[in-house]
Amino acid sequence: MRLPRAEQRKHARHGEAVILFVVNGIVFAIAATAVDEIRNSNGLQPLAASPLPAARLAKVRHRLERDGRTYFVVDAAYHFHLLPMPLPRLLLLRDRPVAVMVERIDRMAEISAVLPLPRAFTGEERRWYRGLALLPGERHDVRVVPVVKPEAFLSDSDVDVLGRVLRGREVPA
Amino acid sequence: MNAVHKFVLFPLGARRFALPSERVAELARPGHLHTFPHTTPLLAGVLVRRGHIVPVFDMAQAVMPRHAPGRKFYLIATRAVAGTTEWTAIPVTGECELATAEVRPPTGVLPDYVTGLLSMPGSEIVEVIDLEKLFSSSAAKAAEVRA
Repeated sequence: MRLPRAEQRKHARHGEAVILFVVNGIVFAIAATAVDEIRNSNGLQPLAASPLPAARLAKVRHRLERDGRTYFVVDAAYHFHLLPMPLPRLLLLRDRPVAVMVERIDRMAEISAVLPLPRAFTGEERRWYRGLALLPGERHDVRVVPVVKPEAFLSDSDVDVLGRVLRGREVPA
Repeated sequence: MNAVHKFVLFPLGARRFALPSERVAELARPGHLHTFPHTTPLLAGVLVRRGHIVPVFDMAQAVMPRHAPGRKFYLIATRAVAGTTEWTAIPVTGECELATAEVRPPTGVLPDYVTGLLSMPGSEIVEVIDLEKLFSSSAAKAAEVRA
């Protein structure tokens, strides 16, 4: 019986720093290099009075003006189809005008590898996650943490649509 | 004459089902089930077995959704998916049995994931399951519900 071990190793990366964050009690990891700043959610402003042109953008209800830049704020619970809850912390992504509302920051960690998501997973998670990381857990157990794709929170085209909404221009549905 | 093959029989509540023995890697004691958000139907989460991430396929939800019993062990089986082979853990409710039996073709109105029937002592009829077909029919049903 041959198992795809070689393929699992092909994707391995060594010694990557990640930020562990929590949404609805679930721990996720994001590459530390993808995050510019962690802050509270003070200063959020409503994005727009009118409904957004696409259902996939319903997860964006706020914006944040910061250093002359506009960040579109993604509700991480909505993004991952979790129950709504107060999300008081913000991850401001680097190189993208996107901020992610999360429940709390757990800690920084270093992961030795990102294992591919098993192919049995065929849903939206294939867009959400780079893969899975194993972290030391309690006792001798390990903890499996999904490593998110920063670009999955909002695509470039979504950012473009939201920018037009903000400027009051018509956008295609 | 029908073919005779080896099967692993596993219980889900009061019923037993069968997989070809060559598809079964081991019966594992319950380990920690790791869960995270996803949208694939019938996947309960993942296990870590010998450094591998093993998806857990809650088969009972597909074959007996109204009577899905509590599960005690994981049957680790292989499954062909997207041109490769992957381990899949199936939660089962008790000990499994290795049996040699004659396979009869499915009769009556049975789902297409039942590829054969085994006659076991005590008039027990055990359905032989095709995991790939069961996965795809579950996914199709879930898609219908979403639509």
